[in-house]
Amino acid sequence: MNWRLAALKNGFKDYTAYRVEFLMEILGNAIVPAAIQWVLWYAIFKTDGATELAGMTYVQMLHYTLVSVLFNQVRGGDQDFELAEMIRTGQLSNYLIRPVGLIQFIYIRGVASKLLISALSLAIGIVLSVSVLSSEASPLRMIGAMLLALLGNVIHFQIGAVLSAMAFRWEDAYGLLMVKNMAVSILSGELLPLNLFPESMSWIWKSTPFYLYVFGPAQYALGEWTHLEFVRQLGVAFLWIFVLWVLIRFTWGLGIKKYVSLGG
Amino acid sequence: MIERLKLYARIYAIQLKNNWVRETVYRANFVTAVGVDIVWILVEVSLFAVIYSNVPSIAGWTKYQVYFFLGIFFTSDALFTVFFQRNFFNFSDLVNKGELDILLTKPVHPLFLALSRWINLTAIFTISMGLMIAVHYAPQAGFAGGMRWALVLFWMFIGVISAILLRFAFAVWIFWTDRNWALVRLYYQFFAFASKPDAIYPKVIRYLILTFIPFAFIGSVPARALLHGLELWEYLALVLVLLGFFILNTILWRRGLRRYQSASS
Amino acid sequence: MIEVRNVSRSFRSTKKAPGFAGAMQLLFKPEIQTHFALKDVSFNVEPGSFVGLIGANGAGKTTLLKILSGLIPPTEGSTRVLGYNPFERPLDFRRKIALVMGQKAQLWWDLPANDAFDLLHAIYDIPDKLYRERVQILSELLDVKQHLQTQIRRLSLGERMKMELIGAILHWPSVIFLDEPTIGLDVMAAAKLREFLKVFNQREKSTIILTSHNMDDIERLCSRVLILRAGELIYDGKPAGLLREGERRLKVRFSLVPDLEELSRITRLPLNQISVAMSERAEDPDLAPETGGVYFTLKQDQIVPVLQILMQHGTIIDMGIEEQSLESVIQRVFEGGIKP
Repeated sequence: MNWRLAALKNGFKDYTAYRVEFLMEILGNAIVPAAIQWVLWYAIFKTDGATELAGMTYVQMLHYTLVSVLFNQVRGGDQDFELAEMIRTGQLSNYLIRPVGLIQFIYIRGVASKLLISALSLAIGIVLSVSVLSSEASPLRMIGAMLLALLGNVIHFQIGAVLSAMAFRWEDAYGLLMVKNMAVSILSGELLPLNLFPESMSWIWKSTPFYLYVFGPAQYALGEWTHLEFVRQLGVAFLWIFVLWVLIRFTWGLGIKKYVSLGG
Repeated sequence: MIERLKLYARIYAIQLKNNWVRETVYRANFVTAVGVDIVWILVEVSLFAVIYSNVPSIAGWTKYQVYFFLGIFFTSDALFTVFFQRNFFNFSDLVNKGELDILLTKPVHPLFLALSRWINLTAIFTISMGLMIAVHYAPQAGFAGGMRWALVLFWMFIGVISAILLRFAFAVWIFWTDRNWALVRLYYQFFAFASKPDAIYPKVIRYLILTFIPFAFIGSVPARALLHGLELWEYLALVLVLLGFFILNTILWRRGLRRYQSASS
Repeated sequence: MIEVRNVSRSFRSTKKAPGFAGAMQLLFKPEIQTHFALKDVSFNVEPGSFVGLIGANGAGKTTLLKILSGLIPPTEGSTRVLGYNPFERPLDFRRKIALVMGQKAQLWWDLPANDAFDLLHAIYDIPDKLYRERVQILSELLDVKQHLQTQIRRLSLGERMKMELIGAILHWPSVIFLDEPTIGLDVMAAAKLREFLKVFNQREKSTIILTSHNMDDIERLCSRVLILRAGELIYDGKPAGLLREGERRLKVRFSLVPDLEELSRITRLPLNQISVAMSERAEDPDLAPETGGVYFTLKQDQIVPVLQILMQHGTIIDMGIEEQSLESVIQRVFEGGIKP
């Protein structure tokens, strides 16, 4: 148990050492997608004079943009690239005694900063829910939404871990991880609310867990999802976590065997 | 003068040849590189496709005009990627690991050697994809076509020059800080503004990306120029801003080099 | 053709205290330290010489080379190489010099040597026929002709270094600066490299300045040696007399920290031939003495008698015999034991 705490502490230290860089990154991450969203809605509603977009008014779109920024920050980091690099450069050999421990270790170390950010986002979100947002929003919903977003963070890392296991086979999982990140950018709802997708295409985003990162939490926080729907989605999230946990053991088990047989 | 140019041309030809040799050795990466580019194009296009499935226009632009713009933008960006992207990626190593030293002892400009080293031949595939998209949607976008296609070359050139000047302006700070990944990340955040037609932005942002951080020159301005031509002040701005950035970069490079040389031990 | 007049090189760095408080201090009241890499160094080198520049790590060797090759300016004083001011880096100057840094590669390792050399062929504008001849001659001399088509990455360290050397002199420079070229090489590879450099210097009359902290390099190659110690030139002359024939260094570790004067008395060796063994890194200002470790500088035939005396007087945990060391040479010169 101790080493997990140490990993967490380690992660916090990193965060404080590179504080300026982290701040710039967060600002960039938060401001730019939000700015682009706002600009698009402004152009559609104000310049072109539309009154609603997929059933949402201008104000509702703005609320979505605002709230999506909160969950955007919680979304997973780049630890999977780290794992892929370790496999590629052979550094993995240093950790071969407990490979499952390694994956947890890398995750915990990277999640430290995210925990701080999610706490901050939650605080801001609660303030928003009692002031700016519509009456359906509430602090309770905000907390539930943040929980879902955090589960999304875990899922994102797990998917990354499974994909980085490809590095055992193909020397370079980098491209795969880039593709994953790009797919996530649109399918998580951080670029636009997923209900803008035409009904016939909605299967695309519903078949991946990515919507649980931003769109799902935003919908619950804004009051679009009922409590029942929220609980159902929590279940979906846990199911994904379980399935991915099994996948990780499987792919890494195979991978390590191959890695070791090559002489590390 | 002509002799010097011929020399540089010969050196560049060798760099091209060497990159070809290198890429034919590492063939596996071709698939991933192209795959990543295809997905990126898909994501940018679907962003607009999804919105347009709900409304007929954004800031007066139809979906065909936006697709035409995207085609131009992807082509311009891919050109930059082919010739310069990786060289800028490695720029901080030049300074931090002292790789600039060896370049300084060569009888050719060190920047030329640094920026011509890596040439990404797989991105040529992306160039053709971008062009195909632009060509496909050109008529519906209202592009006059015919002789005007010759102008595309010119605007591609403008787009690439702008990308180089901008990227350099963000990269050159490595002479003063030892870790500039935050700045580079910031560059890519701003780049997100470039991948949308500038017409959608409110006046303030539009002004910004047309002057002080001219990301709009990479795709928006070329697309608009080809579709309906630019206003007079925009042509003027184009020349002044590019010139300004060129001068700024030259000054920053010289100062940065001086600092690099004084601080080294 | 190389003139160095009163060259000093200092640079300032800011000292950063650890932690966030330190970072804040850096912003508001930075503490500036001045390091003197070179202090008032002067010497001349005639064309065609083979000069060895030796000193411990941090003594200023690399700094001097960088000044001579035009990479950094001297803070005081002036230099002239081939009649040019190196820091101005005139085109003609850059066409005639070569800089080889032991740990930094200039060739592209993803490529076979032939293709990597091609780039230099273009940069230095070497006529085709001449280029081909030179690649032939150099690769034969260094015995790597059969590897010219192999990816440089796949060659052994010694072979890679040889390729780097070939690449560096394809343009037949008049002055070659080499910074620790044999570092990391095994005995055979280093010897081959040395032989090549000697031949090249004699046949082509190019001036070579080589830094090293390997005594073999100096002993076998250089007609002239410059010794730097903490930025100062303390010796400028022939290598002969620096190395004492038959001299060895005996290292002994005692269980109890010994008293040097006591040891001097019982072994009847002068005190200046006995020193406390320090940790390996000479540039570390806070050297930690190895517990109970002592160096004795003595002749081959003195080793056994001295050991016998030592064993009677204390408990020896460990001992070893080393070749002549750079440190002892520098130490001796510094203390005035040798005059050029």
